[in-house]
Amino acid sequence: MTSHDVRDMLDLPQEGAPRPAKKQKLAGPRPVLKGLAREVQNLGGDNPIAIVPEVSVFKKRRFMSRKPASKWELVPFKNTARSDQTLILRHWRRKEASPPPTVIDENEGESSEAAEKPTPVMDDSTFAKFNVQINIPDYTDDEYNSRLASPGWSRDETDYLMKVISDFDVRWPLIWDRYEYEPPQPRPVEGDAAVNTGAIIVPPKARTMEDLKLRYYSIAATIMALRKPPIKMNSAEFNLHEVMQNFDAKQEHDRKKFAEAAFKRTREEAREEESLLLELKRILARSDKLNEDRRELYARLEAPPSTGNIGIFSTSGGLQQLLQQLMTADKSKKQRKLTLGGETMSPAVGASGQTQQNFDRRESSVRESISGPSGGNNKKGNTQNAADRRQLTEEEERIYGVSRHERLGTSGPTFRHDKITKPLVSKSAVQQAKIGNILGELEIAGRLIMPTAEVGEAYEGLLQSINVLLDARKVADKLAGEIATAKAHRAEKKRLARAESTNPTANGDGEIKREGSAVASVRAGSVQRKRSASVMSAISDKSTKRQKK
Amino acid sequence: MASQPMTSSIQPTDVYGGDEVSAIILDPGYSSVRAGFAGEDTPKSFYTSCYGVSGDRTIFSDEDVHNPLVPDMEIRNPMSKDGVVEDWDAATQLFEYAITSRLTKFKQSDPMTNGVNDTKDMDVDIEAADEEEKPLEEHPLLMTETAWNSSKNRERAIEIAMENWGCPAFWLARNSVMAAFAAGRATALVIDVGASTTSTMCIHDGLILKKSIQKSPVAGNWVSSQVRSLFSTQDPKIDIVPHYMISSKTPVDAGAPAQATFQNFKHNITDSFRALEEERVLSEFKESVVQVYQGPGRLNSTHPSGVPNIENVRAMPGRVFEFPDGLNQMWGADRMTVVEGMWDERAALPIPSEPALTKAQTIPEMIRASVQGVDMDLRAALLQNIVVTGGTTLLQGFTDRLYNEMQAMWPGARIKIQAAGLTTERRFGSWVGGSILGSLGTFHQMWISKKEYEEFGVSVVDKRCK
Ligand SMILES: Nc1ncnc2c1ncn2[C@@H]1O[C@H](COP(=O)(O)OP(=O)(O)OP(=O)(O)O)[C@@H](O)[C@H]1O
Ligand SMILES: [Mg+2]
Repeated sequence: MTSHDVRDMLDLPQEGAPRPAKKQKLAGPRPVLKGLAREVQNLGGDNPIAIVPEVSVFKKRRFMSRKPASKWELVPFKNTARSDQTLILRHWRRKEASPPPTVIDENEGESSEAAEKPTPVMDDSTFAKFNVQINIPDYTDDEYNSRLASPGWSRDETDYLMKVISDFDVRWPLIWDRYEYEPPQPRPVEGDAAVNTGAIIVPPKARTMEDLKLRYYSIAATIMALRKPPIKMNSAEFNLHEVMQNFDAKQEHDRKKFAEAAFKRTREEAREEESLLLELKRILARSDKLNEDRRELYARLEAPPSTGNIGIFSTSGGLQQLLQQLMTADKSKKQRKLTLGGETMSPAVGASGQTQQNFDRRESSVRESISGPSGGNNKKGNTQNAADRRQLTEEEERIYGVSRHERLGTSGPTFRHDKITKPLVSKSAVQQAKIGNILGELEIAGRLIMPTAEVGEAYEGLLQSINVLLDARKVADKLAGEIATAKAHRAEKKRLARAESTNPTANGDGEIKREGSAVASVRAGSVQRKRSASVMSAISDKSTKRQKK
Repeated sequence: MASQPMTSSIQPTDVYGGDEVSAIILDPGYSSVRAGFAGEDTPKSFYTSCYGVSGDRTIFSDEDVHNPLVPDMEIRNPMSKDGVVEDWDAATQLFEYAITSRLTKFKQSDPMTNGVNDTKDMDVDIEAADEEEKPLEEHPLLMTETAWNSSKNRERAIEIAMENWGCPAFWLARNSVMAAFAAGRATALVIDVGASTTSTMCIHDGLILKKSIQKSPVAGNWVSSQVRSLFSTQDPKIDIVPHYMISSKTPVDAGAPAQATFQNFKHNITDSFRALEEERVLSEFKESVVQVYQGPGRLNSTHPSGVPNIENVRAMPGRVFEFPDGLNQMWGADRMTVVEGMWDERAALPIPSEPALTKAQTIPEMIRASVQGVDMDLRAALLQNIVVTGGTTLLQGFTDRLYNEMQAMWPGARIKIQAAGLTTERRFGSWVGGSILGSLGTFHQMWISKKEYEEFGVSVVDKRCK
């Protein structure tokens, strides 16, 4: 049975039905159907048949509240911001609860309504308060003649300017745009009228915005000072006065010329400017950083010398005291660790050993917290943390170079790169150069590119071998030298003995001693292989020193 | 607008400063007249500006103006080639028709007081009936005008509003300023490309900067004549056959001659009627085929890669247009050349009986002149507030080209074009701005009231509507 058949049975339309069903599905979660309805719905399969479920949430609230619809009425109002108060406009307002007094008017005609209504209850527009006026200075004839007259300006034009300014509320672009002063036409004198019209009418001078501003500001400043002497002005007024008085038309004019030039630049110029700006920004940023560094350096140089006496810490007793202080300071922390890691702590260990171990522990826990998931789970003291750490598989451990130790070496945790650089750094410059030469011969970079654990180990091994090689070579050289001298001695002695018989004892003694020391150094060289690099280097240093002596 | 129930006592005035006084906004243009209530988002009433004269009958409604069965109907337009009212008698009737047919036909008076419920007041109502002849007694009227409207025309407008229509209050607003308001800008560079004229000007704080006003005839009608010119130079020449002439047609292949039977009319069909109907076909063509080359560069310049731009355009797929008589054809690069003259006067097709375009009449040059005409300190802000309005700006690719042209003109400046995405908002930009202005609470103090009109006479309009 297909959905087609079901439709047939239910007398549903064949086409167009699925659409509304789909929409319905989109509109909200599919209603949970029960019983037969569900069975019927399921027959439809993927292409559900349209059974439009009733939506029972449609505007429920509105029908629930029995409040009557609010009433609105057309209310006349006036606007006190208008210069003409006769205009009465009407707008719709929600009707107040109390019946308005206009009920009586209802039966009367329009004319009486208009006559009676406006008097007491007329609202004022709520927007009237937004009407603000700007104060434009005005002046009397006397004031004009004594203080304001200016060569380029007639009284007539000044008045016109003031009018335009007040018309456009001191918006300068508009004032300049609409400024069209036409000087009053001189009354043609009889007789030479024709001559006059040709000669006197000069086109009105084009005033720049700066001209207009200069004129207005100087008038405004003068009038301001006249009305209220500058000494009596408050600071805001005084500042305004200063600004207006010191208006520099020329500077303003030049500024605009620059701005215009910048506005008209071509694409190349714009691009160049942009790149220059970028460069400037970079330089500034760099100089900022430089200044910062310099300041820091100065701060360090000028840091006040420590006032405390460090002398007491220079003895071992003093250090012991310091340690004791530090220990008591974070007693609480340690307490926890001691109980947790009690088993590793043997009471027989002396005070210094104990602290050493504690330091190790602390260091390791610090390292744990910074080294993240890779180095966590082998620390006994922090098992509670280890649980939430990610367990690494063996493969991963290998990749990340995780290694486990029963206990840390005497020097505590170290950085892997330390192991690599230490043997080099601790050598003399000559030694370093030699090692460098050998590495160069082997075509191995002095700095490891990929210092994984294995590479590090291999490198370490290589360095050790190089050291052994160098030492061996050195010893070989020395021995060869000594053999040569001994041979020479012998030859000399033989020659002398042959020539004349003398006392040989003193010389022979010295030679035996020297040979003994050489054997000792050779032995030292062979032993090195079993020791750590640092120990080895110390010994080899000693041996070279001895040799130099 | 008011369909949504106000849930609480918060009134909309607090939110957007609106305070509606059922003002009517009337925005006449060369191609259409838009009228509607302030505060709404599209004009309820939209009519073509053309009207018919048949004998002594004057015909306004859209159905009748386009009806070929009206005998000997001459089509006229009360607007001049500049988009300002020329024939005030016809315009008054046309505007009145636009307002009363859709907006104020039935006087909206309160059923409590209009006498329906109470027979006592019959005499009063009849008395008042004289007054009610005037259609706008209860509605302040805000009318738009072009920036270059003459003083005489403005005075005529207020006279008609006050005397003929009995408006309680009136205001005359510049349509470019209104378009800027519609885009939410009080300071803007407005580019209005309508039917009869294209204008560019700068608006500062809601007022036009007069020195920046530029206008030219390179607008919708000019594009139409370019298209006509294109059709007449096709081989074979294409005659525009309007819809009303066709009685039936059979489909033909692209480029094949049309096969259609024509309608026979017993009366004479005037040339002006035919021109009007041809214009409708041209409008369809403009809307569906014509496209502005969007840049960079111009259609006739060469791309930096060395390929002329026109070659690239030729490589693009063309567009098919079917004329009412069934003639159909693919339009390739030509669909762009017909509007290239808007940007590049040398690319304009010659139109017989009209002077060739000058460089200053092209849109980029008009914009340059407009910007040049304002104070330096304003220019950067203006270029970031470019408002594009008018029906012809709906040409595909118009704003992209505009942007490219302006970018080339001022490479260092930041240019931001504000073009409404909705077709209606672009076409009715100045009406929508008027609708916003007319519904603002702060605008109530601006209206010129009847009293003021009576006191100062018609000159009040020049004094107040600056
Ligand atoms: N989608 C469109 N594509 C191209 N042109 C269009 C489109 N829609 C309208 N036009 C054109 O726009 C013009 C009408 O624009 P609009 O309504 O802005 O002019 P108007 O204001 O009546 O005229 P004017 O401003 O010149 O007085 C017509 O020429 C019409 O052909
Ligand atoms: Mg227009």
